[in-house]
Amino acid sequence: MLHILFGGFMGMALLWGLIQGEGERVVSAVLSGAEDGITTALSLAGGFAFFCGMMEILARAGGMEWLKRRAAPCLRILLGKSLPDEALSPVAMNLAANLLGLGNAATPMGIEAARRMARGDTASNALCMFLVINASSVQLMPTTVIALRAAAGSASPGSITGPTLLATLFSTMIGILSCKLLEGRA
Amino acid sequence: MTALLPAFLLLCLLAGGIKRVPLYDAFLSGAKQGLCTAKTILPALIAMLCAIRAFSACGLMEEFCRFCAPFFARFGIPEETIPLMLLRPVSGSASLAVLREILENYGPDSRIGLVASVMMGSSETVFYTCGVYLGAAGVKKSRHIIPASLLAWLAGSLAAGWLI
Repeated sequence: MLHILFGGFMGMALLWGLIQGEGERVVSAVLSGAEDGITTALSLAGGFAFFCGMMEILARAGGMEWLKRRAAPCLRILLGKSLPDEALSPVAMNLAANLLGLGNAATPMGIEAARRMARGDTASNALCMFLVINASSVQLMPTTVIALRAAAGSASPGSITGPTLLATLFSTMIGILSCKLLEGRA
Repeated sequence: MTALLPAFLLLCLLAGGIKRVPLYDAFLSGAKQGLCTAKTILPALIAMLCAIRAFSACGLMEEFCRFCAPFFARFGIPEETIPLMLLRPVSGSASLAVLREILENYGPDSRIGLVASVMMGSSETVFYTCGVYLGAAGVKKSRHIIPASLLAWLAGSLAAGWLI
């Protein structure tokens, strides 16, 4: 799927660029994307290092074990039987950070969780469900959007919180449902 | 809400202190892992960003918007928000820029502005998230992750049209 995605996006863009006679613009966009990849990773690296450092302190204090015991039953229901034990605490941390809108803290935990769930090169049911939940956004307060609305001079920037929460719940529900339906096919 | 993160970090330190964890050593070894994570996501990050940039620069996006607009208009989604809806799963920074433009041009409290705001908050950057997480985990066969995530995105976007 990722092969198709990468090849599809890139191939269509290059082909369309050539047809329109703007092949060069596409190539320069690709190169600026590559450059941005480096700067993004570099700017993420500091936050990653900090949050992972703090998590390590918490883990050595036994906080992860505590969280694992609390979260295990409901995570097992949500992600299914193929969820390995060692992935429980990063999954719980990632979902909690996502709920609270702490993207910087959520990403390194999510990557750690994905790595601990991975077995070979095929995604397990649990990994699929975990990624679909991550990709459908489960944020309680859309802080970025509220800030943007306030900057644009909205009379009530926070008025979208309720509808956004409903829309998010709906989209996550559909994601979970379609994940359950599609996984049965394989 | 804003006090949550500092409070949580303080809790980490306190827990570490009470359990006599060597704070500095533990932090350093965790930070080292974090840096390695940043390094391992680099190839996947570059691949995704290149493909996404190429696609949004070549002009196919605009064609696609024009093609889709009448269809989504039937579900109560304003034509002006279609580019935002289509960009949302592809690129976080690009969709933020489009949202800012919409809010400035049509007003944050107009129906267009409200639908756009809910749309932005109801979904995530599907391709980026999946590409980076799977790349770091070394998973090649993503099975139904992308289709299911896109269904969720579609549901969230349509809900934005219904709810406002």
